[in-house]
Amino acid sequence: MAKISVNIDEKNLEVEVGKTILEVCRENGIEILTMCHLKGISDVGACRLCLVEIEGVNKLLSACTTKIAANMIIRTKTEKIKRYQRITSELFFAERNHVCSVCVANGKCDLQKLGYKTEMDHIRYPYLFPECEVDTSHPWYVLDHNRCIMCTRCVRVCAEVEGAHNWNVMNRGNKVRIISDFNTPWGESETCTSCGKCVHACPTGAIWPKAIVQGQLEKKPEMITELIEKRKMNL
Amino acid sequence: MSKKKIATVWLGGCSGCHMSLLDIDERILDVAKLADIVKCPIVDGKELPEVDIVLVEGSVTSDEHLREILHIRKQTKALVALGDCAVTSNITGMRNYFPLKDVFETAYVNAVSNDKEGSVPDHPELLKLRDKVVPLQEVVKVDFVIPGCPPDADTIFYVLFEFLNDRVPNLSDVKKLRYG
Repeated sequence: MAKISVNIDEKNLEVEVGKTILEVCRENGIEILTMCHLKGISDVGACRLCLVEIEGVNKLLSACTTKIAANMIIRTKTEKIKRYQRITSELFFAERNHVCSVCVANGKCDLQKLGYKTEMDHIRYPYLFPECEVDTSHPWYVLDHNRCIMCTRCVRVCAEVEGAHNWNVMNRGNKVRIISDFNTPWGESETCTSCGKCVHACPTGAIWPKAIVQGQLEKKPEMITELIEKRKMNL
Repeated sequence: MSKKKIATVWLGGCSGCHMSLLDIDERILDVAKLADIVKCPIVDGKELPEVDIVLVEGSVTSDEHLREILHIRKQTKALVALGDCAVTSNITGMRNYFPLKDVFETAYVNAVSNDKEGSVPDHPELLKLRDKVVPLQEVVKVDFVIPGCPPDADTIFYVLFEFLNDRVPNLSDVKKLRYG
């Protein structure tokens, strides 16, 4: 593989071409915050947390969807980026009804961890308090729209790894929702195989197994990455 | 150095944060060396006097809470929002997704525990619920927040002790930031 040189956070690196900025950063121990990225499935740049500054580019670009190029000078931890990351995490909390104390994922939630990392102690924006549905029609799993941050990891893992494409996205703006099939109850889905990959891909308490009680949810998204890598090896 | 005056107030919350405050156990003696606790929910109903620090538990759910928090803001040098209800409205805010009328009817008219027909209490002495529950920072300036449901006793003590020693606490620096 051809190598190119880049500079990330004042560090000179020799990296392979064709990789994204996020991949390069993770391989070199440079921490980048993400919510919608899951190693192995495609990247969509939905969460806007991995924004980086690139010299000569007059806007911030998402590290997960931007390919690294020769002589790029990238900064990942400027004050501006930190400010944006805090704003983004606050907006996640203000947009829907994230009540940690009654959530199955409490203490094991990526969204909580994100808040701690961005030093978010309170939310400066008015809460929207939207009325959100909780779909309990599936025999084993629950989809709680209150806790969804629209990372769409469930949509991608269902389509790309399981091949079922049960999940999709409906509406725009703050009315945007994850839907099962053509917006029918999950329990009536004709495509869902009940494999549970979306449960593990979901970074919050939005999709969870019914057998779990408050604060006991354990998710293993790395299992999905492992599965994808093993499939590649068999080929 | 003269002793500081501190107070604690209980608005729309479950008093769990006050229980957690009591969990600082014997460290309350360290607090008492540096400050007088002049008001808390178990003293009589006098209005809040002028104080240096007030810890406020709970969110603003009624006209009474609003009047009280506006008064507190005038009386204190530092206002600390204690717990998730005060900071984010938390569980008390879960009624915000429904019209107030439905909330009342669910609790008083259609409650499973009602044996006959129930009615919504409307005595003039009762406080009036606001349409929406809001966290403290939506109605007054808050100087410091301690999230958590409830916040750990260690966290509460850390914040109190820093303030009483004229230092500004930082929850992220000491890894004490926590929600839920």
